[in-house]
Amino acid sequence: MEFLDVLPLMIMQWVRTQLDMIMPVWGAEAIVAVIKIILLLAVGIAPVIAFTWAERKTLARAQDRFGPNVAGPYGLVVAFADAIKILTKEDVTPAAADSIVFRLAPGLILVPALLVLAVVPFGRGMVAADLNVGILYAVAMGSVTVLGVLSASWSSRNKYSLVSAFRSLAQLVSYEVPMAFALLAVVLASGSLSTVRIVEAQVVPFAISMPLAALIYFLSSLAEANRSPFDMLESESEIVAGLNLEYSGMRFAMFYIAEYLHIFLVAALTTTLFLGGYKGPLLPGWVWFFGKSLLVVFVVLWIRTTWPRIRLDYLLDFAWKFLVPLGMANLVLVAIAYRLASNPYLAAGLSLVGNLVILLLAGGILVLVARRSQSRRLRAVVLGEA
Amino acid sequence: MLGRGMLKGLYVTLRHMAQSYVKGPRRFPRRYVPGGKLERGEPDVEGMFTLQYPFERYEMFPRFRGVLCHLRDEQGQPRCTACMNCERACPHGVISIVAEGKGKQRRPKSYTYNLARCIFCRLCVESCPFDAIEMSREYEVTSFSDNLVLNLEDLLAIGDRSGIKHSGEAWKEPEPGDGQDVGAEGSAGAGSNNG
Repeated sequence: MEFLDVLPLMIMQWVRTQLDMIMPVWGAEAIVAVIKIILLLAVGIAPVIAFTWAERKTLARAQDRFGPNVAGPYGLVVAFADAIKILTKEDVTPAAADSIVFRLAPGLILVPALLVLAVVPFGRGMVAADLNVGILYAVAMGSVTVLGVLSASWSSRNKYSLVSAFRSLAQLVSYEVPMAFALLAVVLASGSLSTVRIVEAQVVPFAISMPLAALIYFLSSLAEANRSPFDMLESESEIVAGLNLEYSGMRFAMFYIAEYLHIFLVAALTTTLFLGGYKGPLLPGWVWFFGKSLLVVFVVLWIRTTWPRIRLDYLLDFAWKFLVPLGMANLVLVAIAYRLASNPYLAAGLSLVGNLVILLLAGGILVLVARRSQSRRLRAVVLGEA
Repeated sequence: MLGRGMLKGLYVTLRHMAQSYVKGPRRFPRRYVPGGKLERGEPDVEGMFTLQYPFERYEMFPRFRGVLCHLRDEQGQPRCTACMNCERACPHGVISIVAEGKGKQRRPKSYTYNLARCIFCRLCVESCPFDAIEMSREYEVTSFSDNLVLNLEDLLAIGDRSGIKHSGEAWKEPEPGDGQDVGAEGSAGAGSNNG
């Protein structure tokens, strides 16, 4: 198992030594870098192919249907059928659109998502760039997506797309705040911004020692990835798919790829930060990483099949009035817990107990407030009054 | 508890996901209902209920109005006497008949039925005094040719396939005290016209 764990690294090392024998160092460096980039792109695109199938299949099964089952065994090659369909469509640019921005926007959405892959540790030592500010980099790239969304919506010159832009700005900017609080707790506990060192610091997975932070991070990264129940900016039933509306052919395919890539990123980052990344007994590290990621992806799809979309004002309420205070409380608690206890197990235990206390307190406060409140909505949600 | 409804929802979808594999006629690894024939109207069916059309078909209910068909008498001859009642009854000029012969020998020289114009109203069948035509249960009538006009041979072939002996047998009221369902094909003695 040790052997399997480091096999990809050994292959890479072997390629490097072969290259060193036949060319100068800079040439070998460049070729190795290109190989890494190609591998990363493959790791980024392969989940897209798998998830298009997985999402349809999961949704279908939850609705007592088969889902795709004609193209290939169990419909496995349905993504390729999709690709052929999309690529043979006409690529239309609306006459009123700002054509340069319109054409650049899909790239602006797709490229940052691909860039985040650089700091994801797929296995022991299998990270393209172990930045010492890896988390900051990932969050920054997530924010660049907002620019892509805005330029796609604005340049389409379409009312629905514009509504989508307003919504996405409100949503993406709001959910970065609770996300940052959750990430800060992780950074405090592990003492580093580097993704690799965060994984190594997880003697107990952070999802166990601070479930609150994990929950906050997961929910806000769903919002960042525009997944259900926070898929406000492409809500088909209200604003007819929002920013995708004027796009067709190859450019639409780029949105499509970006969407599924975002699911993978949500899963990969949640795994890295909260589920112990590539760590796990017996199996090779990269198997653990992809196993955990697939589990998170399943949860994302499961939520998609189940929960309806949240209204925009509820969405923002949820971020600012619920997730942000909880995140702040959690941050304070984690800071105290990891300062008090030098033993990581003790710190994790303290943090877990504190998390549960915070949850109970929050629930109690909600009930108290709801009892005194005149707001029908609050009473209905918290106290279950009709 | 706060959020209980959301968890309940998650449980329901998960249960359906699991059930689709282990319950119902299409449980794993079986992809289709055995024989490809499916009874209609099973409200309590569990597991997957989607009809996978080209591989599975519904058994059409007895009074389904499909393509028109011609029926044969006991000697195997078409019962049609070219009386033109159906042609007159048809609101869209779907049927056109050319007759030949006199008296008992009168029979259709040609009988054409334009499927493209038919609205499946069954007025032709109700006008027929000779128990000669009925609406079959066939509905898969797409073809690559743009000629959807069927002649007497085609209609007789459909009638033979359908297994219908007399017109209106599916419309017959059940006998009092008779526990049998109405309109099973080939129910002997249902000789009356459109009941």
